[in-house]
Amino acid sequence: MSSATERETGDRAVESDSGDIGTVRELGHDEFDPIGTLILIAIYFAILVMLWLFMYFVEFLGNGPTVVGSLATVVGLA
Amino acid sequence: MRNAYVDQFPAEARVVKSAFWSSFLALAIGGIFGLVQALHRTDVLRFIDSTDYYTVLTAHGVLLAITFTIFFLVGIFTWAVTTSLDRGVVDIRFTWSWYVMMVTGTVLVAVAIFSGFLEEPPSILGSELYADVLFTFYSPLQAHPIFYIGLVLFVVGTWLAGFDWFRTWWAWRDENADERIPLPTFMVLTTTLFWYICTLGVALSILAFLLPWSLGIVDSVNPLLTRTLFWYFGHAVVYFWLMPTYVMWYIMLPKLSGGKLFSDPLARVVFVLFLLLSTPLGIHHQYLDPGIAEGYKFIAMTNTMFLLLPSLLTAFTVVASMEHGARQRGGEGYLGWLTALPWRDPVFTGMALAGLMFAAAGFSGMINAGMNINYLVHNTWWVVGHFHLTVGTAVALTFMAAAYWFIPQVTGKELWSRSVALGQVLLWFVGMTFMSNAMHRSGLFGMPRRTAEPQYQNFDFEPAVGTVAEMDAQVALGAVLLVVSLVLFLLNMVLTSFNGTSDSIPDNTYAGTLSGPEDAPEILDNLKLWTAIAVVLVIFAYTLPLASIVESGGLFGPGIDGRQLSLGADLEPALETLREVVA
Repeated sequence: MSSATERETGDRAVESDSGDIGTVRELGHDEFDPIGTLILIAIYFAILVMLWLFMYFVEFLGNGPTVVGSLATVVGLA
Repeated sequence: MRNAYVDQFPAEARVVKSAFWSSFLALAIGGIFGLVQALHRTDVLRFIDSTDYYTVLTAHGVLLAITFTIFFLVGIFTWAVTTSLDRGVVDIRFTWSWYVMMVTGTVLVAVAIFSGFLEEPPSILGSELYADVLFTFYSPLQAHPIFYIGLVLFVVGTWLAGFDWFRTWWAWRDENADERIPLPTFMVLTTTLFWYICTLGVALSILAFLLPWSLGIVDSVNPLLTRTLFWYFGHAVVYFWLMPTYVMWYIMLPKLSGGKLFSDPLARVVFVLFLLLSTPLGIHHQYLDPGIAEGYKFIAMTNTMFLLLPSLLTAFTVVASMEHGARQRGGEGYLGWLTALPWRDPVFTGMALAGLMFAAAGFSGMINAGMNINYLVHNTWWVVGHFHLTVGTAVALTFMAAAYWFIPQVTGKELWSRSVALGQVLLWFVGMTFMSNAMHRSGLFGMPRRTAEPQYQNFDFEPAVGTVAEMDAQVALGAVLLVVSLVLFLLNMVLTSFNGTSDSIPDNTYAGTLSGPEDAPEILDNLKLWTAIAVVLVIFAYTLPLASIVESGGLFGPGIDGRQLSLGADLEPALETLREVVA
């Protein structure tokens, strides 16, 4: 089944009423290599790292140190 | 021949349909109140009195965070258990009884909240009928006893629902002794188990403290104790909303993508981790509470960070399952497969966009969870932006998208309009992007949450980028788009229910697996073991903080009741030593 609200067309849906193309090949456990997933998750982690760097500036340089004042002193920010 | 859910389980389909409609009603009222608040706060349109703001806010929070989510949950879970076990519930009268109990509880809660709009609320049981206590309802805010009684009925209703799912599974197990628990049922049971554990906290808070207090049986309560008991429940309830969403992402999204679930064992591991870790971390909502030592807060932070693991495992498993579907549909390339996904299907697109928003919420959640950075955003609009990405989009958008599949399944009627449905899920995504990003940014420069008029004399907020007016405009625009989207959703649901029955409803099935339960260690299905470990973790995380709170503030407030907790001569030195270590 390729589309949740498509009309039923049998076990192997080929085309739904919205024009979506259905299954064209079967991929088993060993043939499937989720390389695209790896790339997407790597991009997500990269965004997380960039946002954490951004938060560093917001937290430490924007509003001044809060509970980690001693650490800020050590690294020369306070 | 048609083989929809209503054909397989007509009696259960009626309960599921009723639960869905209860949830839609709560969504309609709560969603409109959200618009009223957004327009009021941003000073775009103020037609309520600011003193009524908290009545609106309480109705918005309770109706959406408790009623909408949990009614939809009980519908999905009843579907998941009966479909995956391929048998009906043991006694449909029992199933109706917990549904009626939940409805009764909701009505009582709603009556108490809505009385807040009256000029002169009636006096019942010796006190004025109102409940402007917000979704979090801990002291010192006090509601009318009817509010608490309604909550108790609602929660007991969910407990009975959980028992209903368990005994359906027990009945199935008697006939299938050697079989593994089917994945959807496994997900329901693990979620129900941590719901039992976490709701003990709120039950204790209501029955032992808040209800006697509101009835005048005790004069006061220990506010920190009721806060801590609320958050003992209050973060786990977040996962209670989220788990049916995960169920949809694990067992529906792969099928909608045209593929199979990448790994059944990994899905079981994720749900076991949620059972273990959902409860012993509620103190991360109390980082700024005086009276709880930093050490206990650090333990809560550590548990919270561990809980990122099952969410990241889910990101991998669900995206890999979608990729499997896309490649079976002919998708090629490193990222080109994304174009082979069924983006014109509102069910798929709604769930996929909800998942994308949840990825963004993961970042803001990590900020909330970090003890030091939490100080920056605590009680600001950032937090509101965060949970509108989680419960407001990851959960709500997934539920609305799922409804486009479920309502035809439980009614036998074809969806009124797929195109309107697709536009609706896209509009929700766009509206929430406007609203949530502006809320997050407002929080960074300290704009508070939970206030009707965030304008102050002789003080201007100083955003690093943009202006307050620009962010307010984004919030107001976003809220309008969200309500338009909500109206389109409800319109589609109502008009679908007026459709005649159709023979072209898809079969009631869920996704197969690439790696099935035979690859999962059997110990994963040992629910007693995981529950025991979960209880031990809760005892570790909460015994000392609760003992410390009661010792310093008394069960019913400091120096008022004279009922100080006595820890005994032997335990006291050990507690002192531990307190020094963690403080």
